[in-house]
Amino acid sequence: MSVWLGILFFILAGFAFSAIGLGLSFLIHPRSKNRFKLETYECGLPTIGPTWVQFKTQYFTYALIFVIFDVEVLYLYPWAVSFTQLGFSGLVKMFIFIFILVLGLWYAWKEGALEWR
Amino acid sequence: MNIDFSLLITEISLAILGLTVFTLGLILPAKSSQKGLGTFSLCGLLVILALTIASWGNQGETLGGMYLADYFTSFFKILSLTALILVILGSKNYVNSQIENHLEYYSTLIFATLGMIIMFSAGDFITLYLGLELMTISFIVLTSFRRTNGKSLEAGMKYLLLAGLSSAVLLYGLSLVYGAAGTVFIKEIAGNIAQGYFNPLLIVGLAMLIAGFGFKISAAPFHMWAPDVYEGAPTPVTAFLAVGSKAASFAVLIRVFLGAFLEMQEQWTMLIAFLAALSMLIGNLTAFAQTNIKRMLAFSSIAQAGYILVGLVAANEAGIKGVMFYSFIYVFATIGAFTVVSEVYNKTGSDDIADYAGLSQRAPLAAVVLLISMLSMAGIPPLAGFTGKYYLFITVVQDYLWLVYLGLILSMVSVYYYLRVVLVMFRDEPADPAPLKLGSTASLTLWLTLAATLFLGIYPWPLAKLANTVAIAFLAGL
Repeated sequence: MSVWLGILFFILAGFAFSAIGLGLSFLIHPRSKNRFKLETYECGLPTIGPTWVQFKTQYFTYALIFVIFDVEVLYLYPWAVSFTQLGFSGLVKMFIFIFILVLGLWYAWKEGALEWR
Repeated sequence: MNIDFSLLITEISLAILGLTVFTLGLILPAKSSQKGLGTFSLCGLLVILALTIASWGNQGETLGGMYLADYFTSFFKILSLTALILVILGSKNYVNSQIENHLEYYSTLIFATLGMIIMFSAGDFITLYLGLELMTISFIVLTSFRRTNGKSLEAGMKYLLLAGLSSAVLLYGLSLVYGAAGTVFIKEIAGNIAQGYFNPLLIVGLAMLIAGFGFKISAAPFHMWAPDVYEGAPTPVTAFLAVGSKAASFAVLIRVFLGAFLEMQEQWTMLIAFLAALSMLIGNLTAFAQTNIKRMLAFSSIAQAGYILVGLVAANEAGIKGVMFYSFIYVFATIGAFTVVSEVYNKTGSDDIADYAGLSQRAPLAAVVLLISMLSMAGIPPLAGFTGKYYLFITVVQDYLWLVYLGLILSMVSVYYYLRVVLVMFRDEPADPAPLKLGSTASLTLWLTLAATLFLGIYPWPLAKLANTVAIAFLAGL
């Protein structure tokens, strides 16, 4: 029961925390009214110019290179958690794994995938 | 978990070779100095082939049963390595003139082979699928290798889409089988089925597996990708695709269908027999109309897939022996034929059969090798193809006599379109009588394939006996 009570307090504290922040800013912020404030924020702005623009395919290459590190981290975390049990062989295996990934990065670098053209 | 590294010698050394070629290619500064990569990989592969042959007796399973090593896998390892060595040896000229990125070419070929080996050494479906994808993705890259060539790109795109589709079907089939049989381990599935563990879903899964592997071996009606991909891909890649990918997929078919579903034999043999008949029909009859030699060889390879499937229909040791024997001789015939095609393309820039006019005067060796390879594929004695077909069809004489008749008739029919090329080569006068100089390594490949095709046709017993021993050991080990 006490576990659930803790969660309840956590939720309440969360509400209170955000309520205090919002409330305080409502009380102390300077009030100025103009029409820009009524426009959409961040997304959904009326576009300027034609919207059928082409994106550089290099974004795609960047995404691929990003995946190299993404996958690396994916495997590094569980490895780091059980590092002490895996011992020396675990270290060697992880180095082999990282070496193969680095080869991929090296190749991408050499082929000029990291230069923005 | 203990890993028995002695069972993984071939795989580990292939991976190291692939990575070394890759690293060397990165270190070497100029593109011109990368020409040595081919020789380097060739030497490495010869060492690995020797290692594999030396570890012939190594048997067992490792990684908790996920990985198997037995005579069967050793046989197919030797087959794929031989095919790769012959392809690299024969393609040196072609690669030097047509392909700029040697580093990617050689390392991807090596990784494709590694994928094949993992695929048929797999003891469970997950490892099998991993190997299959390693092979398929490597082949997608290789197929679209001439990236300035529209046809090569088209081939790569088609292969990408259809390989993706077939992988999806296969994966669905594997998951249905897993759901129905309760395990992904091939041996345990056989055990569960033997205990009367039967589920209609298993049949659906089986059908999907046949469809998925049907794509890989380009058996009709899953063959539609083959002609376009074979035509567009760089010719050495086509040869390796036709030989390696097909042989590895047949090995997996045997492993899965005889290893796991032998008990349910009556559920799938008829389906496979139907696929075999359809492949023979479509492959042989469509090959007539082709004017491009690569397309013609593609249809002929569809027909060959039909012949090899006959051995699977029998589902006994003679059938396995037939599949193994035929896959091995098919390596020599196909690589011989495609090496000639790539050498001729290298000199004339054309794959049209009409441009082979007078090849017997311009390059006698190439013409003879093409003749012998094609006659072997058609199954004319005393060439290796005849013996292979004999071993395949003898297994189904009792139960599927119609299949034997069909195979015999269509083999005779196929002689027509093979001989049409031969006629053009030997009868017609060349448009340009200048002798066509073959590269030295390509000539060596041609001599090797010629010798193997002739030798195994006249004296097939050593290979047949070996295949027989392996087949018996395979069935005993189930």
